[in-house]
Amino acid sequence: MVRAIGLYLTLVVPVMAGATGWIPARWYSNDPSTLELVRATPVNCLVLESSLWSRAFGEQAAAMGVSVLGVVKPGDELADLTTRSAAAKLQGIVFEGVFPKELLERTTAMLRDSRLTVVELGPRTRMTLNSPGDIVATNQGVWPGINIADDGSAKSAPSGAPWIDTNTGFLRFVRSALPAGSQSQIWIGYAPPPKQVIPVNRYLQAIADAELLGAHWLITLDADLSKRLMAREEKAVDTWKKMTGLLGYFQSPGPWRNATAYGGLALVQDIESGGLYSGGILDMISVKHTPVRAVPRRNLSDGEMKQVRMAVNVDPALLDDAQKEVLRRFTRGGGTLLTAPPGWKFPPQREDQITLDKEDVKILDQIWREVNSMTGRHNLGARLFNVASVLSYLSSSDDGKRISLQLVNYSDYEIENVTVHLLGKWKSVKVRGPGKEDRSLPVFETDDGTGVELDRLGVTAVLVAE
Amino acid sequence: MALRKSWAPSRRELLSSFAAAPAVALGASTPPSAPVAIARCTSYGEDQAALLRGMFDKIGGLGAIVRGKTVTVKLNLTGSPALRFQGKPLGSTHYSHPAQIGALVRLLGDAGARRIRLVESGYGTAGPLEEYMLDSGWNVRAIKNAAPNVEFANTNALTVKGRYARRKVPGNPLVFPSYMLHPAYEETDVMVSMAKLKDHATCGVTLAMKNMFGITPASIYGDDAGADEPNENPTKGRVDTCHFGKRQPARIAEAEVDSQSSREPGFRMPRITAELVAARPIDISIIDGIETMAGGEGPWIRDHWRGALRAVKPGIMVVGTNPVCTDTVATALMGYDPRAPRGQGAFRECDNTLLLAEQMGIGAADLKQIEVRGVRMEELLFRFTA
Repeated sequence: MVRAIGLYLTLVVPVMAGATGWIPARWYSNDPSTLELVRATPVNCLVLESSLWSRAFGEQAAAMGVSVLGVVKPGDELADLTTRSAAAKLQGIVFEGVFPKELLERTTAMLRDSRLTVVELGPRTRMTLNSPGDIVATNQGVWPGINIADDGSAKSAPSGAPWIDTNTGFLRFVRSALPAGSQSQIWIGYAPPPKQVIPVNRYLQAIADAELLGAHWLITLDADLSKRLMAREEKAVDTWKKMTGLLGYFQSPGPWRNATAYGGLALVQDIESGGLYSGGILDMISVKHTPVRAVPRRNLSDGEMKQVRMAVNVDPALLDDAQKEVLRRFTRGGGTLLTAPPGWKFPPQREDQITLDKEDVKILDQIWREVNSMTGRHNLGARLFNVASVLSYLSSSDDGKRISLQLVNYSDYEIENVTVHLLGKWKSVKVRGPGKEDRSLPVFETDDGTGVELDRLGVTAVLVAE
Repeated sequence: MALRKSWAPSRRELLSSFAAAPAVALGASTPPSAPVAIARCTSYGEDQAALLRGMFDKIGGLGAIVRGKTVTVKLNLTGSPALRFQGKPLGSTHYSHPAQIGALVRLLGDAGARRIRLVESGYGTAGPLEEYMLDSGWNVRAIKNAAPNVEFANTNALTVKGRYARRKVPGNPLVFPSYMLHPAYEETDVMVSMAKLKDHATCGVTLAMKNMFGITPASIYGDDAGADEPNENPTKGRVDTCHFGKRQPARIAEAEVDSQSSREPGFRMPRITAELVAARPIDISIIDGIETMAGGEGPWIRDHWRGALRAVKPGIMVVGTNPVCTDTVATALMGYDPRAPRGQGAFRECDNTLLLAEQMGIGAADLKQIEVRGVRMEELLFRFTA
């Protein structure tokens, strides 16, 4: 009987998710009727500018199990924030931008005393990775997608793949830098470029860029789409449905969720050695589809390096004796270690900076060439073919009996015939994509293990090998 | 005199120049001629094996040429597979099409070829050609299984055991006295150039002959080739050495005949192309114009006098045994005058490779001396100029 009631409550009474379960989106109206747009979608946390805070909206949202957070920005009045939050039925406050540290700490403590969740949506350099709260967030992200030149063509060298603007390298680092077992959720804010028509695929890529690493994009619509969506124009609603559909796919249960990064290449890197940059070494390696895991120096241990065959130490000077000894044992055991050019250090990251300056990119390019030469054609977990516009993330279950390879396609078209060579023998490989049933793929033998062919790749798919 | 933007013949001129003339015994000073088969094909979904078989039958059949032989098929995989035009499959724009490659491999196997070796110098890499093809989105296993003894070779470096082979340019060389090539080109009984019907920014058109430029290894002729020894891990193209003559190839190869000659790509590249074909003759030319691109040879071409690149579907196939004759017919089918001198038509900014090859005695570049078999040329005419 008790169980039956519990089930009833689950079905009928909306339950507000805790902060670690929030899927956020900026919202552009305080008209309670617009909440119908999030009904039955994974979006369960709406973020409102202070001009839109409204009790009626907050109450209606709460009744639907949707949390509402209010945004405050530097310069906003903070004195009666707790009172105003309560009046608007907010579940928390998002501090967006750069606030004086002391003021932020004081206000945050006050809000937390009132059981309000606080999200600090500031510079990457201010993220508290060592002792994160429920949500660790930044408003500094690049708008993901293939970099388009002024003439509309994809930016690339005559010989090279198109360059993909992505936050995945940064998010890889952040994931690895969070304390072991942390349940903290990573939010990242980026906005569509202004004065451009943003096709729906670009929004889907923006979602996938964060979700690939288990983070959430704080959904931000362009001015035109947000206006049309709040007015519930049919095409805008269509776009929204596609977006929330993709979000639903990423939230669905799957072995890749919360799995750990897998791969034979380790990048020993920290905040001081460029971990918070986009377009850094992690992104450069990712473009080559070399499965790589970031290893902050405090995580350096024999256990961490157990599956690793090659490692890159970005800033040897940062390591203490014990950490250096781990790498010595790694090389004595047959591992290959590459270090950055002597005397070179990552430039200190300014608060307003998320990508590298041109001169530093040149030096990084040298490192990348060395890495590329070292990894060569080695299979360090998976080799992928026909994936110039794709980024991937390889993860493994704790027991190593199952690996997942997530793929995100940043081009505006489906890719045909992607080939994957997985390292080692795998009996079965299944593919799952948004709105599609799991499907077994025929496996074939390759020099380094198991091969599969994926006939089509839309925005995203995941291969699960067992 | 105003330059003609393109060859725009009247119907009467067209019929006159397309009038098929039977292959005749030509005098010693007359370049050789051979029949060329042309056909309409509008989709790679059509039976490519049947199409090619029918075309080979029209020019004497495949068996007589390839039975018991090592057949080397030079594909056209120009530029990195990562570079796509408007996101389209590479085979639909500037690469050879995998369906057609598979069909050709099958036909060669059926016709009794002893060994079939697919070759290309993959852009900026000495990695296995199979992986280059996988990166192109092709089913390599299907191609490999289409016939017995199918091999793949990336000829950009010395990717097999053996030594580079020196191929002398017969007669009077134009740029280089000889070329050092991957051994695959020496171990060849029958050379097939499988090309795409395309405009070319430097050479006017790129067809069966221009496709052979890709046989030069970047290890020796590349921009990052060693000064003395080959660089067996090349990562660049061959622009500095070949197009602009800014440097000489690695010393393992012979240097240019005349280092004071023009450094202009429109002068050099047609000559290099013609003499490469003289040094490593082509036995079968296959030109795929079913789907391709107009305005340039690949998506990296910008700001060219032809204007914007376009994906086009001419629906044309051309097959022949003499590469000059085959290219001549193909050039005409593109709406260009095959005999146009420099400054005219497709050759606005370059010398005419067809005429250079004709002067070297490789083949006739005159439609009146080429027997065209299959459908009438005017039925297939597809103007590449916008």
